[in-house]
Amino acid sequence: MERYLPILLLFFVAAVVAGVIYAVAIFVGRIPKGGPVNLDKERPFECGNPSDGASTLRPTVKFYLTALVFVVFDIEAVMIYPWAVKFSALGWNGVATMGSFIALLVVALVYVWRKGALEWEK
Amino acid sequence: MSSFLVALAPLLVVGLGGLLLMLGEAFAHRERGGSGPSADLAIGSFVTLAAGAVVAFSLWLVGPENLGGAAGVAPFLIIDRFTLFFDIVLCVGGALAALLAGGYLPEHKLDRGEFYPLLIFSTLGAMVLASAGDLLSLFIGLETMSLGVYALVGFRRGSARSAEGAVKYFLLGSFAAALLLYGGAMLYGATGHTDLAGIGAALRGGTLTGADYGLAIVAMVLVLAGLAFKVSAVPFHMWTPDAYEGAPTPATSFMAVAVKSAAFATLLRVLVSAFGDPASMSWGTGWPPVVALLAVMTMTVANLVAGRQESVKRMLAYSSIAHAGYLLVAVVALMTQPGIAQGSILFYLLAYTVSTAGAFGALILCGSRGKEAVSYEDLAGIGHRHPVAAAAFALFLLSLTGVPPTAGFFAKLYVVRAAIGGGFLPLAILLLLNSVVAAYYYLRVLVYMYMREPAPGAPVAAPMRSGYVTAALLICAAGVMLLGLWPTRSLELAIDAALAAR
Amino acid sequence: MLSTIKQQFPATNFALLALILLMPALGALINGLFGKRMGKDAVRLTALASIGGSFLASLVTFIVVASEPGSRVTWTAWRWFSVTGRMRQDVGIDLAFSADGLSATMLLIVTGVGFLIHLYSTGYMAKDKGFHRFFAYLNLFIFAMLTLVLGDNMAVMFIGWEGVGLASYLLIGFWYEDEKKAAAGKKAFIVNRIGDFGLIMAMVLLVWYSGSLRFEDMQQRSSGLLTQVTLWPVTDLHQTIMPHWLASALTPASPWRVSAATLIGIFLFLGCAGKSAQIPLYVWLPDAMAGPTPVSALIHAATMVTAGVYLVARTSFVFVLSPAALTIVQTTGALTALFAASIAFAQTDLKKVLAYSTVSQLGFMFIGVGSGAFGAGMFHVITHAFFKGCLFLCAGSVIHAMHHRIHDDVASQDMRNMGGLRRYLPLTHATFLLSCIAIAGIPPLAGFWSKDEILFRAFASHIAPATAAVWVPPVWWGKMIFFVGLTAAVCTAFYMFRAYFLTFWGEFRGWRVVANFRPKKHGGHGHGAGALAGPPPHESPGVMTVPLVILAALAVVGGFLYAEPIHVAPLAHVLEPVFQKASQSVIVPEAAHGLVWPLMGAGVLAGVVGVAAAYYVYQVRGGAPARAFATSTGWFYRLVRDKWRIDELYQHTIVAATNAVAETAAAFDRWVIDGIIARLTAGTVALGGALLRAAHTGRVQVYAASMVAGVVGVGWFLVRPHADALVDTSGLRASGRVSLTAASGHGYSYRWRTADDDESVAYGHDKSYAVDLELCEKRTVYLGVKNAFNQAAERKYDLCRDANVPRAPGSQEAAACCSLDDAGRETAREWVRSKLKELDETQKRLEETKRAPEGLLKSLEQRGIKVEQLPGAPPAPQPPSQGPGGRP
Repeated sequence: MERYLPILLLFFVAAVVAGVIYAVAIFVGRIPKGGPVNLDKERPFECGNPSDGASTLRPTVKFYLTALVFVVFDIEAVMIYPWAVKFSALGWNGVATMGSFIALLVVALVYVWRKGALEWEK
Repeated sequence: MSSFLVALAPLLVVGLGGLLLMLGEAFAHRERGGSGPSADLAIGSFVTLAAGAVVAFSLWLVGPENLGGAAGVAPFLIIDRFTLFFDIVLCVGGALAALLAGGYLPEHKLDRGEFYPLLIFSTLGAMVLASAGDLLSLFIGLETMSLGVYALVGFRRGSARSAEGAVKYFLLGSFAAALLLYGGAMLYGATGHTDLAGIGAALRGGTLTGADYGLAIVAMVLVLAGLAFKVSAVPFHMWTPDAYEGAPTPATSFMAVAVKSAAFATLLRVLVSAFGDPASMSWGTGWPPVVALLAVMTMTVANLVAGRQESVKRMLAYSSIAHAGYLLVAVVALMTQPGIAQGSILFYLLAYTVSTAGAFGALILCGSRGKEAVSYEDLAGIGHRHPVAAAAFALFLLSLTGVPPTAGFFAKLYVVRAAIGGGFLPLAILLLLNSVVAAYYYLRVLVYMYMREPAPGAPVAAPMRSGYVTAALLICAAGVMLLGLWPTRSLELAIDAALAAR
Repeated sequence: MLSTIKQQFPATNFALLALILLMPALGALINGLFGKRMGKDAVRLTALASIGGSFLASLVTFIVVASEPGSRVTWTAWRWFSVTGRMRQDVGIDLAFSADGLSATMLLIVTGVGFLIHLYSTGYMAKDKGFHRFFAYLNLFIFAMLTLVLGDNMAVMFIGWEGVGLASYLLIGFWYEDEKKAAAGKKAFIVNRIGDFGLIMAMVLLVWYSGSLRFEDMQQRSSGLLTQVTLWPVTDLHQTIMPHWLASALTPASPWRVSAATLIGIFLFLGCAGKSAQIPLYVWLPDAMAGPTPVSALIHAATMVTAGVYLVARTSFVFVLSPAALTIVQTTGALTALFAASIAFAQTDLKKVLAYSTVSQLGFMFIGVGSGAFGAGMFHVITHAFFKGCLFLCAGSVIHAMHHRIHDDVASQDMRNMGGLRRYLPLTHATFLLSCIAIAGIPPLAGFWSKDEILFRAFASHIAPATAAVWVPPVWWGKMIFFVGLTAAVCTAFYMFRAYFLTFWGEFRGWRVVANFRPKKHGGHGHGAGALAGPPPHESPGVMTVPLVILAALAVVGGFLYAEPIHVAPLAHVLEPVFQKASQSVIVPEAAHGLVWPLMGAGVLAGVVGVAAAYYVYQVRGGAPARAFATSTGWFYRLVRDKWRIDELYQHTIVAATNAVAETAAAFDRWVIDGIIARLTAGTVALGGALLRAAHTGRVQVYAASMVAGVVGVGWFLVRPHADALVDTSGLRASGRVSLTAASGHGYSYRWRTADDDESVAYGHDKSYAVDLELCEKRTVYLGVKNAFNQAAERKYDLCRDANVPRAPGSQEAAACCSLDDAGRETAREWVRSKLKELDETQKRLEETKRAPEGLLKSLEQRGIKVEQLPGAPPAPQPPSQGPGGRP
């Protein structure tokens, strides 16, 4: 149990620091003028043009699809890093294992391709 | 080196078959107006999964102890008779769902090819889950199975119900998976092992410190909760009716049958291998009283609520929860009668698989597009209008009720015997009382089918015609009758399998 | 030939039985699945071929069994399942079939009469659109009936028992368009479930007390059935949680006990009464006539309804052990015979007359088996199958003819619309007449021999009790039964001939019933249309009349199968060996044999009187006396016509009570479940919803909350310590040792202390603890546990070693010393100590007395004389305390 105490402590410190910063920010924001909240004060400061149009705009589903495919292949590709580190230790067995893994990825890629998920316009 | 491929043959057959079907579906050229992808894919999936079952059965005949490669994959995957038994049950459940889908999807204009690869990969996940002997592979199996099933539940894209069910199942399923994972992490922290046997040995050894024991107890709580979600035990059951109702019926059948069986397989493995020590199995502060309480609540709540349902499909969903409760009674009996109780659970799952898949199949057969069989009223008088569909439905419901000489009767008989033999008479009596309550809503369907006539002008169900569904029903009916007329042999097999897991 | 068959089919593996069973099953399957596409001819061929083939195989089986009286052929398919018996032994139950004389005879009836009725149905049902369905059901029925008859054990028989019920239910409701017919099916279904309850209870008790469900084994071990069963009180009520005064009030002075045989017999008979339509469960059978007439003939007259009689005969070894149960069977049979006959007097529906006649005749069969005349009872089953089958088929033929004219289901069965039909249906008329003579009991037709034998045995025989304690009915009881039966026989002759004269004599009254006549609907007869000149009734086609003729012929000559009085009884050699063991307990006094002929005379007279009365009333006087009787005793006549209003009675008592319970449950449902619980739940959810307002609406949060509650609940249970011990008192009686074993848990430490120790005892790892108690000593043990989270719990165990002591010093009244207070227990312990001391002294003296003969024995042995037991030596008394008893 004692081994985990520092982690708990870390959580605690993080919470305190975040809380303090937040509190200070609010407190500091109140000090100047002391006047009431007005529209100008609420406006985002130096954040580009004033927003225009509906705030709940729905982006097309194609973005999600592409993002999803990207994430899937990205995460799978990460698996190759630890393998590469241990490459020589694993030997041919490792090559075969990674070969079948990549083959599976290729199958998935082919499937995605055939299904038209890689095409923006159909 | 390649001998482990033989040991993994059932998994490989199903996995590669699924990949091939997936590619085949992607490369197939179809002209508009032709038959949908179901026509080929249903057969393909059925053959793949049936091949998985056959390969598993051949390994059974060879004897997994004779497979050199089995040791090579342990403890991540344990290839023993227990695993092979579940491989067969799961493949049968999946294959039946594939056949049902072959009739259901075209009929209801849902004919998209993804259904079948999803089904096969879910089955694969379930098989991995059933064979997992390590928390890591267990989790991988669980997620492989669940992700596919989440998608299957939401397969009826046009339906709000379907989407609702899928989202609820996904959210709560992730929650449960997180609990399980958290529990697993704690177990590792307490014992330094991720393999179930190692965890069991560490807990049994008595070398842990007091704080580690505390951690192990909390871990047990979380793991139990995570698995209770998968077997949909009360109070972790609330997603079940929504997900079952929203899913297309073949997927519902798959969930009720294969997902539940796999969950019970892993529950048994975890409880026996990891928490099989006297302290975890204690009647004082162990899992048996917890599981007993879950069993009682599950049976009682599910049966009471099921009796109040108006939708037959929802009723079947609650009924599947109730059956999980009966099975939990046998899980409690593991404490004193490990071999017999486990054997009875395995036999029950086999009997339950054919009965439930059959009941969902009959429900599919009773309705057609626009004239679905949803409520009891829809089924009024169908016994006279369509005797074959009704007779099949009646058979499966009688089996679920537990009427001799059907499979369900012997399944219940063996569970009750295990409970009584183990010294849990009150649980056995509660089980029997609950069966009586359950008879009410099962027989209610029969009453509507045979003794009521539809109100004039009321919508009635019109049966569909499909060779696939009929074939599935024939297989189920044969199974129900075979297990009912010749239960001893299958029970012996189940007990063999149960003994292997110890 | 016979030896070839016996070589082909050894008696222990008689696979021909499988063939007998499978052919109808196959026929049902083919007709059910493909019948619609096959066409009527193929359906007809399949149905007839399967039953015909089954009949031929049955014939071979019968010959094999009959060739060697008392033999039995068996076919075991496989081990079905096993249950645990009273001695914790495995009781295996096989899927096995066997045929002995009784089964083989029933086989012939079922397949033979079944074949004829199938043949008849091909004509009768020819125009029905459910032709294939009808034959599928009918074949299914034959299959189930054969399973019932061939079952080697009660479990297999029960499948057949349920199967015939199912087939009967399907066939009663065959014309399901009709609401009334569906209701009739439902009634049969419900009434038979009551009977099934009895049968299941009987099976459970049989397994328990005889250790088998095989008829053969049960017969061999039937002595176990003489065990006395305590019905009430089932347990010592004072030991239960109920208050003392209630327990005393509920405990009778002496426990109510019956022998297992009586209990089983009554339960079996409840099942039989359901299936065979006896009082009080007969109400379904008359309504079952809603089905097609061949069904009534086959199922509700010839075969299925006799299953109850068959079961009583089959389990005769149980019934002879309990004369009480047999008396119930006999009396119920007699009452049913008379009661149903009285109802048949006033029925105008031809099929209803036959239905009540069947109920009445079944009563006769039960008089037979209830009097211990199992062979005679079964023989009446056979003759009844012939003549009642024929009568029903004749009725079918009449209805067939009437329906062509009247086109109304109800009116075409009403005898008031018939009359004079002998001119139009000559063959039907002749066969009907022969069957009527047979059922009326006029010699030498079949019904005479069977009914006469039953009445004779009821009069003369009685049961020898197995032990002296068994209750036997008084001797005059059998005489009473005889006279009731005789009266019923007069009634039988009367109402059958009433039906006969009303149907076939006089003028045809159907000309006038034209209200429902629809000439255009039924084309193809070529008869002129018109209100008064409808097509006259005409004889049925050949496929329907051939079975009539065969059955009528059998009704004429069938009696000589078992004509005991004239010693022509070939069937007796087949049937009697089956009842050999049971018949040993049935005594027919020598003196009674002189009564055979006088009693037979009385029986014949009864038949003649009945026929003559019917002839006078309905032929000579044209029914005038009956009408006069009806008007003079209006209320009584209406009561009889309305079947004694038994249906209404049930409606207002049992059904109403059931409804009331259902209503109460529904009200409970409405007010408590819906009103309180549902609202409470809704309220809680609403409250939860208010609390979770910040989140979105939707119930998935509730789901998650429920899961969290579950996790918290499970966690709360597992994190808390549970002090719980297994108390082993097996050594308490002998040595006073009680061992306690604490339930273990992860990280647990335990602490044991008694009331004297204080709280400071340390926790350790000792899970077990043992205490040694003296007699009447009470001690309290505390188990404390501390768990991995350092939480502690404690539990108290009160232990006491009990003994029976006087309630007060010197008093005669006994008490359990553990129930006394501290002071009382101390006195009791004093008393026990003094008693033990006395015992010790007695034992010492005993040892001394034994030593003397021992010395004598030794000296005798030295002289070469061996003495096994000293004459007059006192038997060694067994002192209740420990120590070896004296052994010379």
